[in-house]
Amino acid sequence: MNPLAAIGRSTLAFLAGTGRIAIFGSRGVAALFRPPFYWREFLRAFLFIGYYSLPVVGLTAIFTGGALALQTYAGGARFNGEQIVPSIVAIGIVRELGPVLGGLMVAGRVASAIAAEIGTMKVTEQIDALVTLSTSPLKYLVAPRLVAATLALPLLVAVADILGIFGGWMVSITRLDFNSAVYLRNTVDFLENGDVISGLVKAAVFGFIIALMGCYQGMHSGRGASGVGRATTLAVVTASVLILATNYILTEFFFSV
Amino acid sequence: MTDQTGDEDDIMIRAEGVTRAFGKNRVLKGVDLAIRRGESRVVIGGSGSGKSVLIKCLIGLIPADGGRIVIDGIPLSHATRSEVMRRVGMLFQGGALFDSLPVWENVAFRLLRGEDERVDRARARAIAIEKLARVGLGPETADLYPAELSGGMQKRVGLARAIAHAPSIIFFDEPTTGLDPIMAGVINRLIRSIVSETGATAVTITHDMVSVRTIADRVSMLHEGVIRWTGPVERLDDPGDPYVAQFVRGAPDGPIRVEGAA
Ligand SMILES: Nc1ncnc2c1ncn2[C@@H]1O[C@H](COP(=O)(O)OP(=O)(O)O)[C@@H](O)[C@H]1O
Ligand SMILES: [Mg+2]
Repeated sequence: MNPLAAIGRSTLAFLAGTGRIAIFGSRGVAALFRPPFYWREFLRAFLFIGYYSLPVVGLTAIFTGGALALQTYAGGARFNGEQIVPSIVAIGIVRELGPVLGGLMVAGRVASAIAAEIGTMKVTEQIDALVTLSTSPLKYLVAPRLVAATLALPLLVAVADILGIFGGWMVSITRLDFNSAVYLRNTVDFLENGDVISGLVKAAVFGFIIALMGCYQGMHSGRGASGVGRATTLAVVTASVLILATNYILTEFFFSV
Repeated sequence: MTDQTGDEDDIMIRAEGVTRAFGKNRVLKGVDLAIRRGESRVVIGGSGSGKSVLIKCLIGLIPADGGRIVIDGIPLSHATRSEVMRRVGMLFQGGALFDSLPVWENVAFRLLRGEDERVDRARARAIAIEKLARVGLGPETADLYPAELSGGMQKRVGLARAIAHAPSIIFFDEPTTGLDPIMAGVINRLIRSIVSETGATAVTITHDMVSVRTIADRVSMLHEGVIRWTGPVERLDDPGDPYVAQFVRGAPDGPIRVEGAA
């Protein structure tokens, strides 16, 4: 075994996979611009992704906001900067933790569900059936899910932002002796539109990634139940890694503008 | 015995030298077929011999690696998806019903959501109920979901869906596999009567010899990636080919080697 050959092989495989996903994604987007658009599928996906993810995303945000307040307080106390808690909590949640943790939680829940649903359709020949019924799987299955996730994630993250800040506020006024009104005024004064917008743009991109990976892995599912299981796992793993990598790139971008 | 050649206008499905491999697994090694308009052709062959791959290649669901396919006079390589699918109905092996939709929306799927000719919901439902009746299912099944149906009922719904737009070519992939003999008999008779009533060209895949004798005008055997034999159904008991003879008799011993046979 030549280790260099192994590295070369996996690099090539990685690039080929990235290329295939990119092609699949652009065909999915292109399908949006050719009628018909399947509104019922879109609404079903939107409800599933947006509404039913609210509890998990909301709880994640509340606990993260609370923990962030404590940690920031611990750090701030070392240079008499405890009053920094509201602004750090707000910025941390809105710019970074809301979209990233929300994205990862939704990836776990939604990318897997999409991959399992489409993968099952693939192995039970339902995708073939769609084609024989003069229906494009890209238009019927992929495009509505891409749109639904891209629109639902910013809404979810907006809720997560509010709940995360709420979590930080709760902990700060009950455990850290902050004055409620002062805390809230600090938060509002400190946050800028750009913070919120950059977080919501991230969320939209993450939503797209989640649906893309769910659809891609489902459509390329191997045969049998094990194939679907593998597709489901791959969807969550690839979506999560892509979210974290894209998050860094987007953060760099917003950092420099 | 080879496939008949005929006037090109008379041929609904022609395949010449069709090949398809999955990695190193060469499933189709040069399949030739000529199926006449209105003919009911049955393709027999062992499990895993590539029968499903073959019919999916014929309509472009799986792209062939090589060879030429002509459907209703149109070369598949020049045809659009919708040109092909407008002519085609297919009953899948497992039914392939959409479980999130009620039975009637499954049957009327193409009329409601397909990209060719759509009709309004009321009309689509009426057509669905009419097609369900054609396969022996009452209107009370229309609002059930696929998961609530028995295997035989699922096959019938799949059949109703395949014929909902009056296709000129119908494919049946193992229509009786997994059914009890009586239900299998019901499905066989349905297929036979639907095919003769509509005048559609039918291609059925099966290894159920009762199906073959009920449905077929002519029979082809797919073996080791090629069509090894084609002949009228009456010739099945005296095919003049040891492979076909063994398959028809279901004999464990003969030229066809099966893994695990003593
Ligand atoms: N999508 C696929 N990917 C890889 N191999 C496949 C695929 N579809 C079919 N095969 C292989 O092709 C062969 C024929 O399969 P199939 O046509 O389903 O057989 P059958 O005659 O029972 O219908 C099998 O060996 C199967 O493993
Ligand atoms: Mg098969």
